[in-house]
Amino acid sequence: MKKFVNDPQQFVPEMLEGLALANPDTLKYVPEYNLIMRADGPDESKVSIIQGSGSGHEPAHVMIVGKGMLDAACPGDVFAAPPFDYVYETTKLMASPKGVLLLVNNYTGDKMVFEMAEEMSSADGIEVKTLFINDDVSVEDSTYTIGRRGVAGNFFVIKAVAAASERGADLNEIIRIGEKVNSVTRTMGVALTACTPPAKGSPLFELGEDEIEMGVGIHGEPGRRRAKMMPANEIVEEMLGPVVRDLPFKEGDRVALMINGLGGTPISELYLLYGQAHKRLAEQGISVGRSYVGEYCTSLDMAGASITLVRLDDEIESLLMDPAEIPIRVF
Amino acid sequence: MSTTTIDDIEYVVHSLAQTAVEKEKEFGDLDAVVGDGDLGYSLARGFEKVLADWDSFKRDDAATFLQQIALAISSRIGGTSGPLWGTAFLRASAAAKTTETIDGAAVVAMLRGATDGIKKRGNADLGDKTLLDALIPATDELERQLAAGASPEDCRSAFAAKVRECADATSSMQAKRGRASYSGERSIGSPDAGAVAVAVIIERIVADWP
Repeated sequence: MKKFVNDPQQFVPEMLEGLALANPDTLKYVPEYNLIMRADGPDESKVSIIQGSGSGHEPAHVMIVGKGMLDAACPGDVFAAPPFDYVYETTKLMASPKGVLLLVNNYTGDKMVFEMAEEMSSADGIEVKTLFINDDVSVEDSTYTIGRRGVAGNFFVIKAVAAASERGADLNEIIRIGEKVNSVTRTMGVALTACTPPAKGSPLFELGEDEIEMGVGIHGEPGRRRAKMMPANEIVEEMLGPVVRDLPFKEGDRVALMINGLGGTPISELYLLYGQAHKRLAEQGISVGRSYVGEYCTSLDMAGASITLVRLDDEIESLLMDPAEIPIRVF
Repeated sequence: MSTTTIDDIEYVVHSLAQTAVEKEKEFGDLDAVVGDGDLGYSLARGFEKVLADWDSFKRDDAATFLQQIALAISSRIGGTSGPLWGTAFLRASAAAKTTETIDGAAVVAMLRGATDGIKKRGNADLGDKTLLDALIPATDELERQLAAGASPEDCRSAFAAKVRECADATSSMQAKRGRASYSGERSIGSPDAGAVAVAVIIERIVADWP
């Protein structure tokens, strides 16, 4: 393994420290709870939007804290749910009179930790609700999940509920919007290589030089099949099929199309995939209204990509178009 | 059953914590048969924290005390044990909030709250080969003994005996929840580690009752 690491145990805290030092005007770092929050938060005039999960999926979630996106993120260690008290303390620190929304990708450990944090914070008198995101069509269950996994589609749920929150929506309205976006969002991923957690020092799973994992999860969990490497257009076809059929997306639908890199694939390849997917959708009478190409929810250094479709309507599209300011932007 | 005081509740929690810490290796070995072997470690780390923070817990009433225990445990135990045991104490605390005095009926309500919380949090039920298969029938037994007017001592021994009997009986079951469920039929033939751990803890609490 060759990585920029000092002590693997300090990988996450040192990443967060760097993030905070690079964004002193917009972010605040609370090391006791791995908490990254908006420097001006909590904003008492809006619902606080919080997401936590294992680290290793950057920019999700700590690098998308900012106006119009998350109010705070509390990451766990690499690929591990945050400890319960991190979520609980974050919820208390971010408590707003308008309430708190906890967004969680649907994995067993995260689900338990966040449900418990909700219960405990509610007992303290904080108005808090939890929304689970489960956009992955690859496999119904895996060793990591109860039901479908939440993957890159979580970006759209976050973007929409955060925009609604900035507009002043109340907690119930925000949950309605979040559930709606989640219900029309579908994703499938593919891995060309395994990823290497800093603390492990070796690849998380074995994938032959000529093999790909079709439908891989964001921690490298197995997908629907292992296949021989094939041309990009065939990979796009095999990924897009299950995504389109699942909702299903139909002729006449207008969608947001996201090609998300898993951490180890250059943007040139992502745009190549985007072009293939865009054309295939057009052939099926599905038009792309919003395009997203880049890294949104990664798996450390895994080479691979995921395709996400969201069925747009005027409400969702309008929320996706609202401005946001997050540190991941480089200009 | 006579009325229980905060002293009794403190004794139960303290004894539970001490047992979990002392039996770390035994519980870990039980779990290693078909689970991932971290039950002993997880419980020991969580209850170590409870013992370390013991003097700092607020003791205004049973509910407050138990809520503090819930927080201490779940802030330290990783994996799924933290949320499950934390939820159990949190729900017991909620049940204790609804009553002025902690009598036999309140103890049953607290146990029911704890087991319902574990059911919900773990998405598990009777028959899945978890600690619920020991704790729920034992709670039923305690309720029967109370209704029959048994003495506090008899209630406690009947509760402990039933927990042990049901924990041992999980041997013949196939695991349907948790890491052990991935072993499928190989989980038959050994008892559920969580259920046995609960039996060991409760036997100790009852045997040393002051």
